[in-house]
Amino acid sequence: MSPQPAKPMKDLVADGLWRDNPIFRQVLGICSTLAVTNVVLNTVVMCTSLTLVTAISCMTVSLLRHWTPRNIRMMVQTLIIAFYVIIVDLILKAYWPEMSRNLGPYVGLIITNCIIMGRCEAFAGSNPPAPSFVDGLFSGLGYSLILVAISVVRELLGMGTILGFAMPYFSSDLWDKWVIMVMPPGAFFTLACMIWLCRSIKKKEAKS
Amino acid sequence: MKNKPFFAVVYMFIVTAFFSSILILFAQLTRERVEANKQLAFEKAVLAVFPETAGVEKKNIHTVFVEQFTEDKTSGAWLWKPSGKLSGYAVPIEGKGFWASIKGIVGVTIDRQTITGIAFYEQSETPGLGARIVEPDFCGQFVDRKIAAGDSPIGIKPPSETLKDNQVHAITGATQTCVRLEILMNDGLKQWQQSMSNGGPQQ
Repeated sequence: MSPQPAKPMKDLVADGLWRDNPIFRQVLGICSTLAVTNVVLNTVVMCTSLTLVTAISCMTVSLLRHWTPRNIRMMVQTLIIAFYVIIVDLILKAYWPEMSRNLGPYVGLIITNCIIMGRCEAFAGSNPPAPSFVDGLFSGLGYSLILVAISVVRELLGMGTILGFAMPYFSSDLWDKWVIMVMPPGAFFTLACMIWLCRSIKKKEAKS
Repeated sequence: MKNKPFFAVVYMFIVTAFFSSILILFAQLTRERVEANKQLAFEKAVLAVFPETAGVEKKNIHTVFVEQFTEDKTSGAWLWKPSGKLSGYAVPIEGKGFWASIKGIVGVTIDRQTITGIAFYEQSETPGLGARIVEPDFCGQFVDRKIAAGDSPIGIKPPSETLKDNQVHAITGATQTCVRLEILMNDGLKQWQQSMSNGGPQQ
């Protein structure tokens, strides 16, 4: 736990959302990116759950950082993350059963999302609770940003709808629906294009 | 103190006990709701397989279910008696899907020859692919399909094939789900047919 110079909040926000975006910079959490992005609504709920879990887990890890022995810190982190994920799962089961049925096993799989553990390890373990919360929150939002973009492209091209609403042109007979977009290969194509696009924009930014 | 080996053990024990107790408490608090949601999903599926009861409003589902459906213990099916007279069977089907079990209901006419509808109340198939078995586009295909005699009462065929009167089209990209669904539907229907031929319910 080496003391780091405190980062201003502004930087934490910019890092999470763009400069160190979990998806196109760190390429973390790709499994869920591929799995849940075929329909926008599922993606939004998944992203909300993940963002909340990341932020609160980071804060909890940070609160316990002075007492947690280094050699068992990962066990403690996993425990904390699993705890919040189960809570989210129970809330969905009790108050939004339809969505719980839609997402199926993916809510439970938030536990294995590398972004949460990554933020806990890289930031929350050596920073105070408030910045850790902000860091986790904006890493989660950075992840959500890209996922929602991917899911909009996939649902629109693959089903002709957005959030289940039929879109003009794409849901008419003029558009031959690309079924492959809602299938797993579509996720790979869209994700690759999205990373390419974001990195190109970033390069331009760096030059200017 | 923090670097002593026993500290790690004690610490982990305390942290685990703390978080687990909160979880147990939380699970207890939500258990009733979760169970009620499960029961409601089941009742909704039973109602959904008959066109006459499919449109019932959410708040009336339980009342209609209790009034019109009775369980037949010998065959495991639910008997639909809208005005005291047996008018159809709601046959539960259950089996392994691609990820976890799929549970659903098949509605059958009183002559046991035709399907009136199908609905699912539990499934964890891939969202957007296998999970589309719950959508009207897929379920609607089963309405008025015949139940064939013999080993495979119904069939789920690839979209390119021409259908017989006991077959429907599978979902593109959800081959595994459809293959398993075909098996579990046929098993459920055959089992029910068998228990019906050994007596059946009193009408």
